[in-house]
Amino acid sequence: MLKRDHTLSLSTQARAPGFRVELKGTTFRLIASGAWTVAEATELDLALRRLRVPIPPTPEFTGEMDIAGIAEIDTAGAWLLQRTAATWEAGGLRTRYAGATESFRILIDEVQSRGNVERPKFEKHGAAQQLAQDVARALTGVWDDAVQLTSFLGEVTAGIGRMIMQPWRFRATSFVHHLDYAGLRAVPITSLICMLIGAVVMQQGVVQLKLFGAESFAVNMVAILALREVGILLTAIMVAGRSGSAITAEIGSMKMREEIDAMRTLGIDPMDTLVLPRILALIVALPLLTVLGDIMGLIGGGLMAYSYLGLDASAYLDKLHDTVKFRDFMAGMIKAPFAALIIGLVGCLEGLKVEGSAESLGTHVTSAVVKAIFLVIILDAIFAMFISAVGG
Amino acid sequence: MTVDHGREVLIRVRGLAKSFGGYQIWDGLDLDVYRGEILAIVGGSGQGKSVLLRVITGLVKPEAGEVELFGRNVKTLSKQDRLDIESRWGILFQDGALFSSLTVLQNIQVPMREHLELQQAMMDDLAFLKLAMVGLPPEAAHKYPSELSGGMRKRAGLARALALDPEIVFLDEPTAGLDPIGASDFDHLIRKLQQTLGLTVYMVTHDLDTIFTVCERVAVLADKRIVRTGSPTELQRHPNHPWIKEYFCGERARAAQPVEGPRRLLV
Repeated sequence: MLKRDHTLSLSTQARAPGFRVELKGTTFRLIASGAWTVAEATELDLALRRLRVPIPPTPEFTGEMDIAGIAEIDTAGAWLLQRTAATWEAGGLRTRYAGATESFRILIDEVQSRGNVERPKFEKHGAAQQLAQDVARALTGVWDDAVQLTSFLGEVTAGIGRMIMQPWRFRATSFVHHLDYAGLRAVPITSLICMLIGAVVMQQGVVQLKLFGAESFAVNMVAILALREVGILLTAIMVAGRSGSAITAEIGSMKMREEIDAMRTLGIDPMDTLVLPRILALIVALPLLTVLGDIMGLIGGGLMAYSYLGLDASAYLDKLHDTVKFRDFMAGMIKAPFAALIIGLVGCLEGLKVEGSAESLGTHVTSAVVKAIFLVIILDAIFAMFISAVGG
Repeated sequence: MTVDHGREVLIRVRGLAKSFGGYQIWDGLDLDVYRGEILAIVGGSGQGKSVLLRVITGLVKPEAGEVELFGRNVKTLSKQDRLDIESRWGILFQDGALFSSLTVLQNIQVPMREHLELQQAMMDDLAFLKLAMVGLPPEAAHKYPSELSGGMRKRAGLARALALDPEIVFLDEPTAGLDPIGASDFDHLIRKLQQTLGLTVYMVTHDLDTIFTVCERVAVLADKRIVRTGSPTELQRHPNHPWIKEYFCGERARAAQPVEGPRRLLV
């Protein structure tokens, strides 16, 4: 903001901006006064828009912006004056400024020279076009994901093959670290969740089956469900949420800070150091966690069986022994390493896709979790069909 | 309004103290910023140059001391007064600190939307004007911050800082991370805007070229306070302090050309 006189402190009345237009001789004069600043710009803008552009009867008529009465001005004020002057000019009135101080002059010249630039159009699509574009992008995105994931699976398989041929490439420290993080540290939360779900299913089962007088079959239901589906699915979802996101975040932030490029230039293969230890650790950890999840699910069911059916521990175990076969357990367990592979693949791949910015990291972590959970459920469905087809 | 040596004091800092993790960074720091000047704050790493900026703008609370903005003690300000004062300054953070979900144009309009009730057309006009004044092409208006280079982000950040035509702008290392040509352009831009808009500029910087090209006064932060203030040439001729001597008379300072008084640019 520029002031005409810095020593002067303006009263509120003197600050009030205003203008009037008068004709003097052959000159249309816009006489402005007060503080032409951005704070006052709203009213000035409206008033100036309402102002009729003077039409010169003969070409010798001129316009004048008399700003001798302006006490304060900033770019907004200067822009408003300039806009008015430009419309007058466009109407065939040569317009000049009068009463500007040196500093006012500089500001007005700057606004004059900067204000009239060609503006690019902001491209806005219609709703239908936008929708079509989004759908197309989503579909090609799914295809791209499938291609990338398959090719990454190939790379990982090749990496594992290389590691078997050259066992010294195996990073034991890193493997143990990730086994600890993805396995051991996930024990409390996985156990708790599986136990709660086991208990809830048993309780709901008893209530519903009681209607048929078949409440004791709730034990069969919980046992089969826990071993075949709930144990593995819940554990895999927990691991996808917990370790899948961590993998993407770790690898992604390393990618962001160019650490992965640095590794490559130092002759270190990120596949050996970052990807394989994580995926192998998950492949070991998830089946172990699934066993635990199965047990906890059965324990949760047992607690409810005790309180709703009055079955004590030995009766409950006897009943389990009668209903559950080893292949029920295996039908669940067989899925665990595959689920682990999917979580690891998606997590690492999304991490490696992170680009320079922090937003990119956030997006990829989210999509890693969503994709991993989605694929785990798809995998579960495929296995369910397969197992029932082979008569398991 | 506080007047000192015939010049109006916009910011007055007295007896500031602050410590981080048991380490005292200042003890009794005094500083005055006068209207219309370009002031550079220099000092070694860890002397709290950026923290001082944050204390003045109210982002960090000091442990002791007074800060006066436009003649008002910040401790006695009501919420409304505080808002009024915030519309009278603009801050350029190190990397621009543009909102990543908004385009450049929307970024520049954020302060206008928050503090004023302008028509959209008027805001567009003003935002394009500010964009041109900081030397950005109009095509940059509809881009997102992530699509801009570091130098362009700083310019866009400056345009946002100038959105409400503030009386004072704070610049945190304006030329850091720019190439020498970009940095020199930015120096000239700051000088030119200061002359055009009658700004007061408070700048945290390391850049000797910037100091010699645009700054009228330098305040040196060392030994937990402002040890000296003066024009760059004055400090170079009579350092009187080991750190100032090393900074202004070292090899890099000799490469930066001192000029008699701040260089006048043709506008």
